[in-house]
Amino acid sequence: MSARASATLYGARVARASWLGRLIARATARDLSAFVVPGPEIARARGLDLRAAGLHLSPTPRHANVLVVVGWLPEGLREPAAVAYTQMPRPRAVLALGAKGVSPLPGPDVFVDLDQGALDDGVAKLRRLFAEGAFDPEAESFEAAALRSKTRYACPMHPEVVQDEPSTCPQCGMDLIPREGAAGAGHGHADHGHGGQDHAHHEGMDHDEDTGEDTGGQAHGWLPHPGGAEDEHDDAEHGESGYVEGSGEGHSHEGHGREHGLAHGDAGGGFETREHGGHGGMNHENMDQGTEDHNEEGPAHEKHGDMDKGGMNHGGHESMDHGDMGFMSMVEMTQGTPRSSDGLQMEWVETPFGPLFPGLPGGLSLTFTLDGDTVAQTQAGSAVGARAWEGLNGPVESFAERLAGLDPLSPLSYRLLALRAVESAAGARVDESDALARVGALERERAASHLNWLAGFGYLIGYSWLAKRAEELQLALLRADAEEVAGIRTRVRQFTRRVERTPLLRRKLAGVGRVPDLDRAVGPVARTGGRRIDARLEEETYLPLGFEPVVLEGDDAHARLRARLAEAEQSLGFVEEAGGVSTPGAAPEIDGASGRGAATVETPRGAANLALTLEDGDVTITELETPSARHLGLVEGVTEQRELADALVGVASLDLSPWEVVR
Amino acid sequence: MTTVLIILALLVGAYLVAVLEGWVSTGRFRPAAPVLSGVALLGRESLVPRKPDRIFFEVGPVLLLVSAVLAAAVLPLSPGLIITDLATGALFVNAALAYVMVALLMAGWGPDGAYAMVGGFRFLGQLVGYSMPIVMTIVGVAMRAESLVTTQIVESQATLPNAVYQPVGFVVFFVAAMSVCFLPPFDLPTAPGELAGGVTAEYTGWRLAVMRLARAVLVVTLAASVTVFYLGGWNGPVLPPWAWTAAKTLAVAAVMLVAGRHVPRLREEHLLAWYWKIAIPLALLNILYVGIVLIAGSSSSMSM
Repeated sequence: MSARASATLYGARVARASWLGRLIARATARDLSAFVVPGPEIARARGLDLRAAGLHLSPTPRHANVLVVVGWLPEGLREPAAVAYTQMPRPRAVLALGAKGVSPLPGPDVFVDLDQGALDDGVAKLRRLFAEGAFDPEAESFEAAALRSKTRYACPMHPEVVQDEPSTCPQCGMDLIPREGAAGAGHGHADHGHGGQDHAHHEGMDHDEDTGEDTGGQAHGWLPHPGGAEDEHDDAEHGESGYVEGSGEGHSHEGHGREHGLAHGDAGGGFETREHGGHGGMNHENMDQGTEDHNEEGPAHEKHGDMDKGGMNHGGHESMDHGDMGFMSMVEMTQGTPRSSDGLQMEWVETPFGPLFPGLPGGLSLTFTLDGDTVAQTQAGSAVGARAWEGLNGPVESFAERLAGLDPLSPLSYRLLALRAVESAAGARVDESDALARVGALERERAASHLNWLAGFGYLIGYSWLAKRAEELQLALLRADAEEVAGIRTRVRQFTRRVERTPLLRRKLAGVGRVPDLDRAVGPVARTGGRRIDARLEEETYLPLGFEPVVLEGDDAHARLRARLAEAEQSLGFVEEAGGVSTPGAAPEIDGASGRGAATVETPRGAANLALTLEDGDVTITELETPSARHLGLVEGVTEQRELADALVGVASLDLSPWEVVR
Repeated sequence: MTTVLIILALLVGAYLVAVLEGWVSTGRFRPAAPVLSGVALLGRESLVPRKPDRIFFEVGPVLLLVSAVLAAAVLPLSPGLIITDLATGALFVNAALAYVMVALLMAGWGPDGAYAMVGGFRFLGQLVGYSMPIVMTIVGVAMRAESLVTTQIVESQATLPNAVYQPVGFVVFFVAAMSVCFLPPFDLPTAPGELAGGVTAEYTGWRLAVMRLARAVLVVTLAASVTVFYLGGWNGPVLPPWAWTAAKTLAVAAVMLVAGRHVPRLREEHLLAWYWKIAIPLALLNILYVGIVLIAGSSSSMSM
């Protein structure tokens, strides 16, 4: 670590310095691609333009060499972030913005404040670091204890038999099979080899380690065992003149990886389950590809190994655990596996699309069980939400601050919610001009939030022009002063026209993301289902502004896209009328007031309700309802039995913020 | 010598395509970017996933490059400047490009990752869409030239390029060509937002460099085939023939790269439906149309 004081890079690639190395290092310094944690939308919400700073944004950590950590990293993202880091090929670096990195990530190579100027400096520093220290014969390996896992040995036939040492099963005499996972991961395995109906979808993901090549987790997300992976890199690199591939002759690491792969990614790597792939609900992908393991495991698996490859549908190998079959028809192979709605038999593959998936908001943990490219089952959750609202309780002076910190995607709405609830509890009145300024601030946030969503959505649907333009407008809006808002409104209007005229957009989005249960929806999602639901309708401040919510029919991704564009434009109109965009100040002066209070704010995602009690300057939340918490329950209905791309579009169209959800 | 020249031209073309692609996507013209990026990739570790199908994993990117280069072998840069002027040249382009699908399927299957695998199989579906229209439109071109030899196809367009002579075929072929090189909006196998890179997601370091090079060469090859089949190849005034081919090829590549930015990615079901319900009938009509024009032309010349 002491070496870090000079210009060395913690994530340097192990190689001797040579003229060629220096040349490559200099090229690398000018070719920085970033993987952003928690996600690019957080950077945008904070007004950071990563591209302008010279970073190319990469959809996968595999193609990146800089891990950009924007702001404070919630606990649920730390391991996924570390995994993403281990998946980046070296030389690699961590650029932390606003908050120092947190374990298990290594300390940041460059740490700067959260603003554009500091970011530019940080990138310049990174370039110097790469140019001077991209290759270092003494680079350290990245080891993170938190990512370690334990290899245990289990009987393929008797799930209850799990031992720490390799041996044979006391019940049937079969060799125990190494399996990786967090200690105690003995569940889930059951039934393997019994036709395994309930495991069908976990099937088949042995990760062959014997070649020693892995780097752990092919996927962004899967928890490889970073320590081991790194060691391998070192082995491979030592002794060669430098630019060796990081694979190669590394020793093999049995079993790294971990039970829960968190990050986004296709599974894959982390889990060493050998023969019977992942129990324990993981990820893991597809098919048994490797064959070596099988062969080691004795005759029973030999055939299995030989066969897997053949099945085009990698269907149901589980039944193949029966060793005595020489030939198996497709019908036999797929017996007992779950049927998809189309009757076509495929192996179900659990694939994570989050929490660090490029097309969705960072922190949203989405797992699809893929049946071919159809989503058979969905699990949605948040990796970044609060553990419990109680964590927000405390002194009233800083309550607004704490609630504003809840959701980096719409901090102002929550600040306003806190202020209103406290004022209602204390019986304080807000004068008209303040109320109007608050409207201005809230509406500006709404417009910016919608544009931010649009930028991410454009990226997801592969509409680069839309993504880029929305990002430009959003950043311009965040930086605009009161006079410039009018100009931005005009640009948003032109932008809206252009988007409406886009060929194929309606065809792509129409009918996608229909919500079966609209009663649970609020905000733009409800309003695009033809419902006139808006908390602003009841607010006095909006009356003179002539507010009328944007209500559209359609209930699909296309309607939501149009509605958010229309709302953005409408909101900018209100900002102009409000004449100011000053952020609401701290909590009002309340001396020892007590009482109960409640408030509602129409956040960009829908109405958020807060009820609290105020006692001697202490706030206790009794109820907090956020739109994303409601909408998270809609994800299943939007995705199941949909083609993968449509499912993702559907999820994205809900504009979920995983931050405002209790995990 | 010719081979060396053509390969060099391909590489230069791929380089320019990479510059163009960077320019189009970042809005900044950085002529050195592909070199920097390529060198940087060579300096990065090239990781092998934990449980790859090693052969598929290694062969995928290389096969992609090989199939693109093979297809380019029968495309003339100027009269005489062609690697091999096969009697079945126009069909050979097709045969070589069929391996694009094989390569992507291998690259998708090889790494043992769900994103890559879905990407690979998506491209298989894409092939089911574009493969028929692309052959059928070439039929129209070959009918006019009365030959499958690519140089004769170019010569047949001396007075009027096929893009004007058979515009429907041109449009269908152009779209199908974009699908072959999986450029947006046909980037289903790589889809950054949906599959985090798809078939390329697990490639790093030099393997990724090969993959990207292969893709750029593929774009050049397809743009060159559009040029040869529909834009009159080397035909043109003033400039030397090779310059015309090069300029047209680059222009086609630029249009392909820019067009994809302004539309969303197609849905797989639409892609298939539109190819089979619209493009194939159009391609068939094009054949019929070319046949009628040819017969009408020959009978009128005979009567004279």
